[in-house]
Amino acid sequence: MNAALGSAGVTLGFAASVLGVLALAVGLRRRRTASARGTALVEAEGLLRLGRSFAWLVLAGAVVATVAMEIALVTHDFSLAYVANNGSRSTPLLYTVASLWSALEGSIILWALVLSGFLVALVRRFADRAADPLVAWATLTMLVVAAFFFALMLGPADPFTTVAGPVPVDGPGPNPLLQNHPLMAVHPPMLYLGYVGFTVPFAFAVAALVTGRVGEGWLAATRRWTLLAWGFLTAGIVLGAWWSYEVLGWGGFWAWDPVENASFLPWLTGTAYLHSVMVQQRRGMLRVWNLSLLAATFCLTILGTFLTRSGVLDSVHSFTESPIGPWLLSFFGITVAVVLGLIGWRGDRLRAPGSIDAPVSREGAFLANNVVFAAFAFVVLLGTVFPLLVEAVNDERIAVGTPYFNRMTMPLGMVLLFLMAVAPALPWRKASGELLRTRLQWPAWAGAAVVVAAVAAGARGLAPLVAFGLGGFAAAAAVRQLVLAVGASRRRGGSAVAGLVGRANGGMVVHLGVVLVAVAFAAASSYASSDELRLEPGRSGTVAGHTVTYLGMNPPADDGQKTTFAARVQVDGDQVYEPALNRFPNATQTIGTPSVRTGVREDVYLTLVAAPEQPGDPAVIGVIIQPLVVWLWIGGGVMALGTVLAAWPGERRRRPIQPASEPALRTPARDPDPPAEVPAPAGMA
Amino acid sequence: MRRWLAWLLLGVVVGAALVVGARSDPAPPSNAERIADLAAELRCPTCRGQSVLDSNAPAAAAIRTEIARRVDEGQSDDEIVAYLDSRYGESLRLTPPSTGLASLVWVLPVAGVVVACAGVALAFRRWRADPPPEVSDDDRQRVRRALGQER
Repeated sequence: MNAALGSAGVTLGFAASVLGVLALAVGLRRRRTASARGTALVEAEGLLRLGRSFAWLVLAGAVVATVAMEIALVTHDFSLAYVANNGSRSTPLLYTVASLWSALEGSIILWALVLSGFLVALVRRFADRAADPLVAWATLTMLVVAAFFFALMLGPADPFTTVAGPVPVDGPGPNPLLQNHPLMAVHPPMLYLGYVGFTVPFAFAVAALVTGRVGEGWLAATRRWTLLAWGFLTAGIVLGAWWSYEVLGWGGFWAWDPVENASFLPWLTGTAYLHSVMVQQRRGMLRVWNLSLLAATFCLTILGTFLTRSGVLDSVHSFTESPIGPWLLSFFGITVAVVLGLIGWRGDRLRAPGSIDAPVSREGAFLANNVVFAAFAFVVLLGTVFPLLVEAVNDERIAVGTPYFNRMTMPLGMVLLFLMAVAPALPWRKASGELLRTRLQWPAWAGAAVVVAAVAAGARGLAPLVAFGLGGFAAAAAVRQLVLAVGASRRRGGSAVAGLVGRANGGMVVHLGVVLVAVAFAAASSYASSDELRLEPGRSGTVAGHTVTYLGMNPPADDGQKTTFAARVQVDGDQVYEPALNRFPNATQTIGTPSVRTGVREDVYLTLVAAPEQPGDPAVIGVIIQPLVVWLWIGGGVMALGTVLAAWPGERRRRPIQPASEPALRTPARDPDPPAEVPAPAGMA
Repeated sequence: MRRWLAWLLLGVVVGAALVVGARSDPAPPSNAERIADLAAELRCPTCRGQSVLDSNAPAAAAIRTEIARRVDEGQSDDEIVAYLDSRYGESLRLTPPSTGLASLVWVLPVAGVVVACAGVALAFRRWRADPPPEVSDDDRQRVRRALGQER
């Protein structure tokens, strides 16, 4: 029943996306011939409207598939193979609902659901431009991507296959690690909203190439969509790090694991795009580069899915064993080829009309930013796939791990912090030394003060100190911009909040969040200390100045889902924490639940490494002390807040028909000329 | 001149702080720190993507115990690394080797950055070489007229 319903939903989604593609393609073709002949466009535009209405059917199909799977999961319908493999009667409801994204097939359903949600949002948002070929081509591109993901569910990743033979009475449940913390219910959907959200700007990029309207119109149309996707991706990555910290029990938050890298790669190229797009909007330059960044962001989401879902990382030779691998790899290859072909075909229109006058200018800083972000993404991508390449060429197994990534990305991160400090003070076109000296003076002194304070507080080591100093410099530069913006808004008679919204000001808030994350990352990874203490009940040990006392074990607690063995551990003679080991009925290995004393200055992270055999025997307690960890999550929150502020419609700063004009002022007395005197160019409307 | 003095002072302050911060190394690493540093450089043989330091898998715990035993015996880091290489092979090292085919993982990004910077520098040279567009008297007059109208 659920299987039939779900399959019907998938089939509906696939059919609707294919039909939508056909209707739009025919409509676009007719429209072209009609406008070439000068005949009426009514019929063609009717087809375009019809095509976009298929988006609703695609969404309906995805919703039906999702609902069918959730019903099957919640009602424990073990006749479905997916439920039999990932559900169990003892799993709490929250994690049962969340097991939609705990394995491959279910996460493809989620992908299709999010994608069709974005598709409908796009269709609604651009309802008044339905006959516009740009919008039609963007919708068509989205529908093609949707068709691919529904095809995956019809073919190699069918979530609704039924079990062969007798229906099992119970299942193993999701991987115990995935049912140990409520963040698991939030983090993957966030990540998918970000991942999939980048399809919208990508679709517009393709549409711009196909229609030849490679000017700045499509950039303005997709600005908020890109920000939204970027914000979700950022939140998803930070929440993932937090989940990893709270659950995995190794005290870390970022392991340069392929799964993490797969989410980080599109973030890097997406961030590069958010910056370089400003050069194009302001100066009309870097068109090919911006298109390539968007295409790369989309392709990297596909490549990341391929890397993490095909089993290729276990061994290059195993990826053909999972049927989804070749599909994803082919889709990736086709997308790359299509985008490259389109860029080559439109090469003449993509030529930049202007030039960048001086390296020390806002444009120059954005260029440098892009070089560094591209290098960053290249390092992460290379490090992730390098073991595969070596294995494929040499049949030799090597590992590329944290030491490599840290060493290679640290200098890039430093350069980014430096650019974050300097770039906001740079004017467009050309900066004079005098101007820079004035604008950068106080931020630079703030950075110096941070270095001195850190050294005085006992921080040692060149790399972290430089990171702190640059962080202080960048934070002060961002604060300076915000203070100026708030002041300007006040003088204009606006509110202080108006100085915080809009792209530039929201962006500065995001910068503050990035600085928090970077400083916390540098501190936590440079000054961590850890030890394992073997303690008898009542005994204490010391790690990095903190006294840890093992008081004894709690009696084993069974909540139906798992059996918990918790130790009572007192930190610094104060509060008692309970790190635990959990035994899940269907898993052989025990799963630890760390317990963390979170503080503004440092975290004390406790794990129960080994529970005593007999009560009264010694227990092994893992203790990890890391400074400033909590600021990672706060920084993530500030980044999310800044994204919202950046997307918030601020006051119109410049007159729309003269992008290079002075900010339009509210007071009419200071508005130099009535806009009616300047006729709007025809193409801009 | 006074402007420059402020920046010079800033440089001296930061430089001095960094020298103090980077040079005065506190105590030599404790045994626990040495064990952690050594274990962080090794891949846990039975898990995916975790180091021996981070993993709770039995195989990782065994290697940690072995490292701890040798550290307590007073062996140097190099001796312990040599032992681990002979016992488990170099494929367990999380830092890829800098020789042979694997060295590409170090060389390629650096080469990429150099090429990109050279490309940007070339682009700037070309942009600078572009002469500013010729402005004819006609154009100047047009601008003057437009400005005059506006004022």
